[in-house]
Amino acid sequence: MSHAHSPGDGGEHPAAPMVEEITDFEVLEIAVRELAIEHGLFSADDHRRFTEWAESIGPAAGSRLVAKAWTDPAFKARVMEDAVKACKEIGIDWAEPTGFGTPSDYMNLRVLEDTPTLHHVIVCTLCSCYPRPLLGMSPEWYRTTNYRRRLVRWPRQVLAEFGLILPPEVEVRVEDSNQKCRFMVLPVRPEGTENWSEEQLAQIVTRDCMIGVALPRPGRTADVHPVHKARRPVQGPAHSPEAANEHKK
Amino acid sequence: MPRNKAEKPRRTAGKARFNVGDRVRVKDLPNLFYSRTQMYVRGIVGTIAAYTYQDVIPEDEAFNRDGRLEQYYIVRFRQKDLWPEYPFDNDTVQTESPERWLEPADN
Amino acid sequence: MSAREQLRKQQELIGSLQPAIHLPQNWNYELEAPLYQAYVHPPHDVGGQFDVPVQYEEKEEEQWELDTYVTCEVLGWKGLWNSEERRRRADNDLGYALYLGIPYYGRWILAAARMLVDKNHISLVELVEKIAEVKARHAKK
Repeated sequence: MSHAHSPGDGGEHPAAPMVEEITDFEVLEIAVRELAIEHGLFSADDHRRFTEWAESIGPAAGSRLVAKAWTDPAFKARVMEDAVKACKEIGIDWAEPTGFGTPSDYMNLRVLEDTPTLHHVIVCTLCSCYPRPLLGMSPEWYRTTNYRRRLVRWPRQVLAEFGLILPPEVEVRVEDSNQKCRFMVLPVRPEGTENWSEEQLAQIVTRDCMIGVALPRPGRTADVHPVHKARRPVQGPAHSPEAANEHKK
Repeated sequence: MPRNKAEKPRRTAGKARFNVGDRVRVKDLPNLFYSRTQMYVRGIVGTIAAYTYQDVIPEDEAFNRDGRLEQYYIVRFRQKDLWPEYPFDNDTVQTESPERWLEPADN
Repeated sequence: MSAREQLRKQQELIGSLQPAIHLPQNWNYELEAPLYQAYVHPPHDVGGQFDVPVQYEEKEEEQWELDTYVTCEVLGWKGLWNSEERRRRADNDLGYALYLGIPYYGRWILAAARMLVDKNHISLVELVEKIAEVKARHAKK
């Protein structure tokens, strides 16, 4: 930055010019979207509608499903019988926003019920398939080749890195969601939650519990990981890591 | 012309070849360009755990090819059968597979 | 950055250096079967490969990443492609170097662009001219 003063400028430094840094990927996305709209492949309104849906999803819906299943055995039975249909009872329609489901999430949810001797944990070794309508967008670590390489072969080691260590008698079952089913873990209801309301129970069912890398327990209401901040983050409520911990939706 | 789900014809795959509880081996076809049958289960024997749905195979759908519908299954494997060094007896892995990738296991 | 953090970063950097065998004759007449299999192995099939413990983190989403996700899904919604094709293109056709090196949503948008050109919805010249135009638009600000 220049510190030279010219006569008559009152001794003030000129403001540095604002440089809008745009990445190659951002340029490419704008180019693709504008060309698609120009060619009538989709409309700006289509893009807006789908964006609205994407911003509406989050893990609070999954938390509600688990809390209701814990308190209502008949509901839990319906969840295990037909999870997509049962989701409608907690306000989630897997057919949204297109009427026939999203292109990537399909309509084949299966809920994996943990027991005291069976613990499920989910990975998509081939990409990052995730039950978006129920849990929102996947966390960054879930998408990494690192997690996808290791969880299926060294699950207990990876779980230990998340702070979860299970006894050898417990069967650790890795669910690799490599096709069109989408999965969510229904954890065992922890001790110390007797007589809790559904709202109280939902508070301790975090996203990590429904992936299977954490166990719910009283007092644990957030998944804590370091956060890599965005340079130009989404101007909306639903995609911050903090939002992933919100249970207020 | 790619179709979206609203246009997908409601054909059926016919009778499923395998039952829940059947022992099946994952085929190891040559691995070229695209597959959703993972390297780590090929040639391994597992157990049919559940039926899921009927659909075209990913190797066709990825190339916009109208293939026949097949039954998909969830197959369960013992970790000890997948990895030579795996130390825990009870642990398992489940993955999903279309019928053509499975054959009966000879015990 | 604390001294311990600096030490850890330096250890990671040293650990990332790998020797390579350099052969002046860098064209192959033959390939042994295992090497052929490794070259043609679909890149996305990584389950069971070796990797090391690392710090897993959350990532705040960039606006362009959300826009990319929506653009790709809307292209699917409108029948331009299906998600299996998207995964085939973004997770395999790019090849191993780009698969490991390009950011997650960067691969999505590259795959979408390539698909539109492959299927003749847009021409490559149209695409590169539009890219230049978008860049120029942002440079003026």
